[in-house]
Amino acid sequence: MQPSPRFLLSSLALGTALSTAPALAEMTGTLNMNGVTGLIDMPSGDAQKDATFSFSMGVVGPITRTTLSFQASERLSASFRFQTWRDWDTLIPGDDKETDRSIDLRYQVLKESRFVPALTIGLQDLTGKGLFSSEYVAATKTFGDKLKVTAGLGWGRLGSYGGIGTPFGNRPPVSPTGTPNADQWFRGEAAPFAGVEYKINDYWTIKGEYSSDAYLLEDDERGLIERDSPFNFGVEYQRSPNMRFGAYSLYGSEFALAFHIILDPKSRATGGVVGPAPAPVKARPSRSADPDAYDGGWVTQADAGPILRENLAKRLAADGIAVEDLAYTATTVQVRIRNGRIDAGSQAIGRTARALSHVMPASVEVFEIVPVVNGIGASKITIRRSDLESLEYTADNATLLRERVTVTDAGPVPDYSLGDEGLYPKFRWSLRPVLRLPEPRKGDVGLRLSGTYDIAPGLVISGAIYKELASNRDGGAVSTSPLQHVRTDGSLYNEFGDPALERLTFAWYARPAPDFYSRVTVGYLERMHAGISGEVLWKPVDSQLALGVELNYTKQRDTDGGFGFGEYDYDVVTGHVSAYYDFGNGYLGELDVGRYLAGDVGATISLDRVFANGWRVGAFATVTDVSAADYGEGGFDKGVRFTIPLNWAMGTDSRRGFGMTFRPTGGDGGARVDVDGRLYESIRDYHTDGLDPDWGRVWR
Amino acid sequence: MLKLAAALAVIGMLAGCGSEKTGPSPFVSALGAMAKNTVSKVKGGKTEETTDGTVKTPAERRAALEKAGKPILRVSSKTLGQNAFVTVIDTKDDVLTWKTRDGATFSQRNGVLIQTRGLGPDLMSAQAPSVGQLLAAGTSYQRIYYFLGDDDQGTRRTYDCSTAIVGKETIEIVGRSHTTTHVTETCERPLGKLSNDYWIEGSSIRKSRQWVSGMIGYIDFERVID
Repeated sequence: MQPSPRFLLSSLALGTALSTAPALAEMTGTLNMNGVTGLIDMPSGDAQKDATFSFSMGVVGPITRTTLSFQASERLSASFRFQTWRDWDTLIPGDDKETDRSIDLRYQVLKESRFVPALTIGLQDLTGKGLFSSEYVAATKTFGDKLKVTAGLGWGRLGSYGGIGTPFGNRPPVSPTGTPNADQWFRGEAAPFAGVEYKINDYWTIKGEYSSDAYLLEDDERGLIERDSPFNFGVEYQRSPNMRFGAYSLYGSEFALAFHIILDPKSRATGGVVGPAPAPVKARPSRSADPDAYDGGWVTQADAGPILRENLAKRLAADGIAVEDLAYTATTVQVRIRNGRIDAGSQAIGRTARALSHVMPASVEVFEIVPVVNGIGASKITIRRSDLESLEYTADNATLLRERVTVTDAGPVPDYSLGDEGLYPKFRWSLRPVLRLPEPRKGDVGLRLSGTYDIAPGLVISGAIYKELASNRDGGAVSTSPLQHVRTDGSLYNEFGDPALERLTFAWYARPAPDFYSRVTVGYLERMHAGISGEVLWKPVDSQLALGVELNYTKQRDTDGGFGFGEYDYDVVTGHVSAYYDFGNGYLGELDVGRYLAGDVGATISLDRVFANGWRVGAFATVTDVSAADYGEGGFDKGVRFTIPLNWAMGTDSRRGFGMTFRPTGGDGGARVDVDGRLYESIRDYHTDGLDPDWGRVWR
Repeated sequence: MLKLAAALAVIGMLAGCGSEKTGPSPFVSALGAMAKNTVSKVKGGKTEETTDGTVKTPAERRAALEKAGKPILRVSSKTLGQNAFVTVIDTKDDVLTWKTRDGATFSQRNGVLIQTRGLGPDLMSAQAPSVGQLLAAGTSYQRIYYFLGDDDQGTRRTYDCSTAIVGKETIEIVGRSHTTTHVTETCERPLGKLSNDYWIEGSSIRKSRQWVSGMIGYIDFERVID
C-alpha cells in the first residue's frame, strides 16, 4: 500500500525540473566555500530562499570548513561552522591541528529591485576567539538572468588586505572569548572586495573575485598557505536542487573544493504527503428513508461497546493509531487515540473521524476525538458527523470543516467509558541504530535498546541502553573546568560507559486541572544525572502562551554507565520557571529562568522555527552567574539544534526524526537535566497552534 | 569519518526493529512497493500482455473486465508510471471514487476530477465545472484547485476557464467504439495556463485528459465499463 517507487523517482525528477526553473529566472544567491551566500571566499549581498537549510564543506590545502546554515527568515540567516587547520605546527611547535567553531549572522538590509542592489550586513565568527572574525557589508546586483556583480567592504579578516583606513577606530583584541565581540565589530582597517558570478547554463556557473582577506594567520603566522595573489577563480556545478559542487584556484597558489547539500524544509523530496489514501467517509442513510437506523436503542445492548471498539481499533490500526478508550451515548462518541505514526495531528484526527463514520451507528452525530500523549489527553476535537459527510467532496473542504470544528481542553475521561482494555499493562521495546554527533563530522554510531512498560494511562516505566559500534571521536581533553563537571566529563562517560544505561525511569503524567498538565519522573534521568524531576505546565488549547515550572533534585552518576553514584558525590536542586510563546508562522520562543546543574543561576532564551512536516531548526543561549572565565572558552552556553523528520527524507509517515545539537564550546555552566517527556513539546501538536498550520491534512 | 560512515550505512539498512509495529521500515516498504507495482501494469497498444504472459485481444480483455460486474475506469499517467484498470470504492450522489492497487484514489464528479489521494502532490479538492458547463461552449467560469503547498499549508490556484467544442469524434476504448463530442477546456491565470480535454458521450464523460497538480501534470481517464 505504498506509492510506486517509479512514481517517487519520476516526481523527484520533475521536482528537480520545477525547482531549477524559477532559480533560472530569479537567479538566487549561491553559497561560498564558507557555507554562506557569496562568491568563492567572499560573501555577497544575496540571501538564500526562505528556510533553506544547507550543509557545506570547503577544503583549501590543510584547512577544512564545515558549515551548517539556515535562512531563518527571508532576511536573517545564521551559520554554525567547524573549522580545522592541519599542519598547525609547521612553523610554531605545538599541536599539529587547530580546531575552532564559529557562528555567523547575516541580515539582508535591502532586497534587490530594479535599481537597488541586494545589501547584506554580516558578522562572521561573532563570538569566538577571533580566528575567523570579520564583519562586512556586501552589495550584489543581478544583470539579466546570468550575471551578478558584488562589491563589499570588510573588517577583521576581510579588512586585512588592501585596506583603505580605519573609519570606525582601532580594533581591540578579543576579550573575553565566547561572548559577542561587539567592541570589535566594524573596527580596525577596512578593505574592499569584489567579484562576479556568471551562469553559463542551467548547470554551470563561473565565479571570479578579488579577496580582501590576507590570510595572515595561515600564511604569515603558520605557513600553511602561500597567498600570492588576491584573485580567486572557479567553476561550480549544480544538477539537482539539493547538491552543488565547486572547484577553485585560490590566491594564486592553492586548489580548493567545495560541496554543498541544500535542503528546503518547506517541501518534501517526494512532492507531497505519501501513504495510502484514506477510506471514504461512510454515508448514513437519510433519516426519512430509514428512520430505524437512527434509533438509539443500541446503546442498551451489553455487547455493543466491545464490538464497536474492536471494529474501530481494526480500522485505525492501518494508520498506526491505537484506541485508548471509547465512551458513547446514543448521540455522542468520545474516542481517545494514541497516534504512533502520522506526523500531522490533523491527519490523525481526519482518519479517526472517517473510521468513526464507518463504525458508529447512525444515531451518533457528534464525534469527540481526544489525542492522548503519554497517557494524558492533549485536547478534544469535536466534529459533527453531518459536516464530515457533507463536506467530503466540497471545494476548499479543509477551511470549511475547520470553521465547524471546535478544539477544547481534553477534559476528564467520561465515567461511562469502556476502559483501556488490552493496552495496559503493556511492554514495548525497540532496537535502533543511532548516530550521535556532538560536532558536524565527529561522533559515534551505535545501537540503542529501548523498552517501555505502560502500567496504566500516564504511568510508564522506560529505559534505554546504548552500545557504541564505531566512533571517530578523539579521546577529548580532560576537563579543567573549575565548576562541578556536570557536563564536561562527557568524554569519560563515552569512554567508560560502553555499553551504558542511558535512562531508567518511572514517570507519571497527569491532568491536575483543565489547562494544566503535570509530570513526575524518578530514576536515572539521563546519562550523567539521576534523581527526581517534576513539572507543571499551564497551556490552554488555543493559547499562544504557555507557562511552566520545573523542579529537580539530582545526583551525578558514575561514568561507567551503571547504577552507582560513588565517583562524584554531587547532588543539586535545580529548577526553572518557563514561558513558551508561539509567535506564529512556526516561530516558537522559550524563556527559562532558574538554577542550573552546576548550581549557577540564570536564564536561557531559545528560538526555534518549526515546520508542519516536522522539520525544526533553532538556537539557544544561556547566561548564568558563572563568570566567562570559569565557564571556559565559550564564555556562556549557546548552540544550534535541528531535527530532520524521517517522513520528509524518506516519504514514509513516521513521527521519528533525526535530531542534533551543536555547541561552539562546551562548559558546565547553564546546563539542564536532560529529562525525557517534557510537557510542552509533547502536547503542542494537538493544540490549535500545532493543528492549524497544516489543518488541510485532516482530509488527507 | 570513513569508518563512521560505513558503520552508519550498515546499520541504516537494518533501520531498527521492535515490538511496536508502527510502520514498516522505509527500505522494506520501498522494496515491497516495487514488487507490488509489477502486478497491476497493462501495456498500451491493441493487444496487451497480461501478468500471466498470455496475449489478449481488446475484446477478450473487455470480456474479462466485464466479468467483475463493476464499473471500471482506466487511469494512465506517464509521471505516475500508472496504466491500470481501477474499480469504484465509493459512490455518493454524483461523485465516484476509484482506487488503484497502490492505494491511491481518484474522485470524480460526473467524470470531472475533483480530488486525488495517495499520489503525493495530491489535488485536495476542487471547484470544477459540471458536464453541462463543459458543453456550454464559450461561457466563462472560475475553476479553483486546492492543494497542500509549502510546509503542508493549504494553497489554491484560481483559473478563468472556458470551453470550446473541437468536434464529433469516434473513439475506441478497449474494443468498443463510442461517438463523442470532444471538448477542450482552457484555463488561464496570470501565472500560467492549462487545458483539459473531454470526450463526452451524450451527457457523460467517456474519456478525458485532466490536469491534477503541478508535479503530476495530466492524467488520462477512460470509462471502460459503466
